[in-house]
Amino acid sequence: MVFSDPILLGCLLTVFLPLSAFALIMIFTRDNPKLSLAISLVAATIPLIIAWTFFFKLGGRAPIIYNFDWMVSDLVKVPFGFLLDPTSLVMFVIVATISWLVQVYSIGYMAGDPGFGRYYADLSLFALAMLTLVISSGLLQLYIAWELVGLASYLLIGFWYEKFSASEAGKKAFVVTRFGDIGFFMGLVFLVIFYGSLDIATVNSAAVANSMPPWLITTSGLLIFCGVMGKSAQFPLHVWLPDAMEGPTPVSALLHSATMVAAGVFLMTRIFPFFAASATTMTVILAISTLTLILSSTIALAATDIKQVWAYSTVSQLGFMAMGLAAAALASGTLFAGYYHLTTHAAFKALLFLCSGVFIHHFGTNDFFTMATQGGRKLVIPMACITIAALALAGIFPFAGFFSKELILTALAHLDNKLWLVLGLFGAFLTAYYSFRVIFVMLFPKSPEAYSKVPGHIAHVEDEAHGHGAHGHADDAHGHGHDEHHGVPWVMIFPLLVLASFTLILGFCQDYLEKLLLGASHPHAMNYFLLVAAVGCALSGIALAWLDWGRKDAKCVGFISRFPALQTFFIQKWYMDHFWRWFLNRFIYGIFSKWFTYNDRRVVDGGVDAVAFSTVGSGRLLSFIQTAFLQYNLLFMVVVLAGVGIYLMMGR
Amino acid sequence: MNAVSAWLTPQTAATAAFVMVIGLTILGALIAVGARNIFHNVLGLCVSLFGVSGIFLFLNSPFVALMEILIYVGAICIAICFAIMLSEPLYLPPPPRNKAKVLGAAIGSAGIFVFLGLLLKKTQWTAAPERSTDWSVTTIGHYLLTDYALIFELVSLLLLVAMIGAIVIARGGRGNP
Amino acid sequence: MLLFNQLQTYLYLALVLFAIGLYGVLARRSLIAILISVELILNAASINFMAFNRFLAPHPAVGQVITLFIMAVAAAEAAIALSIIVAVYRKMKSINVEHATELRG
Repeated sequence: MVFSDPILLGCLLTVFLPLSAFALIMIFTRDNPKLSLAISLVAATIPLIIAWTFFFKLGGRAPIIYNFDWMVSDLVKVPFGFLLDPTSLVMFVIVATISWLVQVYSIGYMAGDPGFGRYYADLSLFALAMLTLVISSGLLQLYIAWELVGLASYLLIGFWYEKFSASEAGKKAFVVTRFGDIGFFMGLVFLVIFYGSLDIATVNSAAVANSMPPWLITTSGLLIFCGVMGKSAQFPLHVWLPDAMEGPTPVSALLHSATMVAAGVFLMTRIFPFFAASATTMTVILAISTLTLILSSTIALAATDIKQVWAYSTVSQLGFMAMGLAAAALASGTLFAGYYHLTTHAAFKALLFLCSGVFIHHFGTNDFFTMATQGGRKLVIPMACITIAALALAGIFPFAGFFSKELILTALAHLDNKLWLVLGLFGAFLTAYYSFRVIFVMLFPKSPEAYSKVPGHIAHVEDEAHGHGAHGHADDAHGHGHDEHHGVPWVMIFPLLVLASFTLILGFCQDYLEKLLLGASHPHAMNYFLLVAAVGCALSGIALAWLDWGRKDAKCVGFISRFPALQTFFIQKWYMDHFWRWFLNRFIYGIFSKWFTYNDRRVVDGGVDAVAFSTVGSGRLLSFIQTAFLQYNLLFMVVVLAGVGIYLMMGR
Repeated sequence: MNAVSAWLTPQTAATAAFVMVIGLTILGALIAVGARNIFHNVLGLCVSLFGVSGIFLFLNSPFVALMEILIYVGAICIAICFAIMLSEPLYLPPPPRNKAKVLGAAIGSAGIFVFLGLLLKKTQWTAAPERSTDWSVTTIGHYLLTDYALIFELVSLLLLVAMIGAIVIARGGRGNP
Repeated sequence: MLLFNQLQTYLYLALVLFAIGLYGVLARRSLIAILISVELILNAASINFMAFNRFLAPHPAVGQVITLFIMAVAAAEAAIALSIIVAVYRKMKSINVEHATELRG
């Protein structure tokens, strides 16, 4: 059955190849970098081919569903299987492509690392989890893959586990996303209890047909959105994502910008009809994602670590996608705007990270001011690519980001309350500003003294011992030092070029993708006011960045330094880390931990102790009966037996 | 003479022999349990076992009767004799009887006696509808090697284990001669 | 009806033998005497089997086979019990069960 059906075979291969690669590398070839690489690449290439084949062959067709009963009971049926519809196919292609590119890129980036084999095993685990997540047909299966993705993310963030901050960041990511996943799981439980099915197609059609009680949709929708909040780093659970940049840069590109964090948004599109059926849920999502957008954009203004900037921009763009989806749902639109932004964002954000990876790899620092003063612009191809990606991020024509942002802003414009649109435009302005802050600093470096006034930069220099010690380690591990300026290997350039071309092309694939996703392309009524406003925001952001950082006699402090209080606020990341620390200390450690500890000590341990003591005590007490006169024991036995026997015999 | 011959039918003779055998069995058992000298106990056991083997003869099974004498009298009683020789010397005076204990034992065994007696009395024993008359030793051997082959093997294993166990226990263990 | 042709006779005989053996097990102090009493109990059981075999069983070979098994088990039991007795005597210089009180509570 499997071999006669190429589609099913393809799905199974997609899932089991990375799985077996993970197992093989972990068990057998961990200490052999070349063999591990070969296994992992094979297991990444075949899903890539399958993904593109499916994309072109199955793109326009009706959804293909394979369902196998997994848990069946009277009321609940939990299937597992594969669901190939346009929504999953596009994401399938994105995941397969980017994970393949990142694997190729990592050949250069991770060369000589002692954990090379482990790194590729973890990447394979991630591929397994993410691909399963994308093509799974049931929400429970999706949830399992979701958690596996979290595990892979944990392993990869903490990849350089000797570094304290890396292992801490891994733990933070794991715990924070788990925090959201509790909600996700509770949402699923609600669905199971009150609806009885976790099949995606069933849930969606039930939501569309209004056969589900509205309160259930709202409740479980909000709960499931908690999971999205964790995974897609929405306020207030966004705190893990910037820290996750402790992992190797290709990992940041793959997991923490392009694919894994998009899993949350993907889940929203996956059960979009379900979410859309509840206006309350969608309003909450809209509010949260807007807040996230503004918050992370403002934090990115003040960041000096290049990966931090892109990390916060990832958070803000994810917020942007969620805004697009929520707005579309509220204005009874389609999921296309958010999903399209997810697609383009995957391309240009992966590109941004991979380019940054080249710089980090080359200069051995994360601080882009240092990179700039050391001659970052001499790396021509990465510099060109990162500029393209930044243009796309800022939303400049003709790059991919322009088209998708335009769509989202259109969706926002359809809402009655224009405040959302204004905030979205403000977010776009900030995005353009902070991305071009990086680009102008890199393109037109000043003398190092010029940057001494940048708050974060100074902090970074003071922090040298820590930061450089850590990176020195990474570099030692890489086997090439900070000073060794060598050419960038082609395996690192090639993915950049591929992604740059995607960034250029994707914008013009809008109609094609829309037709694929929705079955028909809707001609867009061009809202020229909006177009002008959006591009104007982006351009003014770029212009401000030019004034602050780019021109010859720029002050190099940023407009935000006029408001010191705000600047501190942004540098301290809106005090969110402080808030969570306080929350942990006050509530988790202070109340729950204490209470549970008390419960453990007194109730659980005490109960066990009581049982043990009473057993021992009663044993002591009863042992006086044991006189060691066997014959008396036997005599009692015999007498009782005889008595019972005679009594029974008398009755007959 | 007539009166005697009238009495001396084969049935009477057999009954007399049967009563003798029963008497032998019970008498032997009483000696085995009641005598204060341990060696007399063994001799009483021997007598009782002879009686039991006689009963087996009355029960149509000379083979099992023979086995009874061979195994019980020939093997077990001799083994008990060895144990007597290896343990307490016979010249030691036996400890005085404990009245309460004897009374308790009597009550206990009487209770069981009453219980089982009632059981015997009240049970209606019914014979199998079809009964074979094949009493030959050949059939026993046949059964041992077909239907009961597994039990047969298990018994042989049991004997082996018992042998090894007896050696290990009686030898006293390493370092404790 | 002849005495030796009745099932009841044999069963009562076995019962008497069993009761005597049980009395011995309960009353005697010497481990060897207890063993002897146990042998009596086993013989009572054998007699029961043989009697049922003679009067009730569908096939007369079966009871005999079982009696043989009882003998074999009794032999094994005697061997083990005797070796235990020897070991106990070596340890405690006595084979009186009332002296075996090491496990008193």
